[in-house]
Amino acid sequence: MNALSVKVNRAGGGKFQSRKRGNKTKDLNITSLIDILTILLVFMIKNISMDSAQKNAPEGMLLPTTITTNELIESGKAVYLKIYPDKILYGVESMEVGSLQDFLNKPEIRNSLLKLLLMEARSITSVGSKPCLLIQADKELPCRYITEFIKFSAQASFANIYFSSIHTDNKDEVLGL
Amino acid sequence: MAYGPSKHRSRSQNETREPNLIPIMNLFIVIIPMLMTIMVAVHLAMIEITLPTEAAGGGGGDDPEEQLEEDLPKVITLALLPDRFEIMVEGIEDIITIPQLSAGTYDYFTLDESIARLKRNNENQGTIDLLPDPNVKFDTLLRSIDICKSNNFPNIKYLTSSTKYYKAK
Repeated sequence: MNALSVKVNRAGGGKFQSRKRGNKTKDLNITSLIDILTILLVFMIKNISMDSAQKNAPEGMLLPTTITTNELIESGKAVYLKIYPDKILYGVESMEVGSLQDFLNKPEIRNSLLKLLLMEARSITSVGSKPCLLIQADKELPCRYITEFIKFSAQASFANIYFSSIHTDNKDEVLGL
Repeated sequence: MAYGPSKHRSRSQNETREPNLIPIMNLFIVIIPMLMTIMVAVHLAMIEITLPTEAAGGGGGDDPEEQLEEDLPKVITLALLPDRFEIMVEGIEDIITIPQLSAGTYDYFTLDESIARLKRNNENQGTIDLLPDPNVKFDTLLRSIDICKSNNFPNIKYLTSSTKYYKAK
């Protein structure tokens, strides 16, 4: 009743005017929210990594966990090869090459991949860099495919081969304890 | 003639004015989702391996060269087999065998201890030859490489040859 009550403004020619108290909007106190957001912002800025290699974790692939990590050799340029149990993806653009069975059995698939690797290796060496192959493979993949890819990449002048894994500081995780 | 401060002015100075936080909020609402999208949740590592090179030709029979060969580090080969690990050290007959704990569960702890012991006995050796069985999983391969590297064997030579060392006798 009080909220809706009005008083008659006699001076204004009898017009109704709402009460002044009803016009006041209470300010929302957002100071605590700002505090939380500031802490969040500082935390994220501290932990952020601008390294492009860090961001290329393949989707839908379970990578093994390791404690050691190696840096790419000086003036090395990595070419990505993602080996899933059902498909092979080439390059940062993840171009599908074929399945693992296709790779082992079909010479045309092998030849096309070899051509791609050779072209990439030539373009890398032409700018004075060293071609490196970064193999990202699923942890359940049998080693026969890895061995095949290593032999294959050696044919395409990739002398530096790296495996991708998830980094951890806990050695027990690697030892399965 | 100077006038004193008005009553209204003194009253407004006493009131604490709250800062306008709306622009800061707007900024935060844009920055935080942007940072969340580019933030790296999983840190990827890279493990380097080396490929086997053609063996260098053997030397003659001169005494200094023979003495030099004695100082050469012994070749250590780690074989990853479907049911066990096997470590062979050049010049030692006994092969270190580390069987699985249970079906599909490798004994990485014993492998770590064995590799650490080998490092203590062969301090000048920094390379391990790795021979994985075709059916061994990539996870086992990478864990074994990691164990070798963490025990100061930085060079892992991936043997792509299918010849088994223990059958070559």
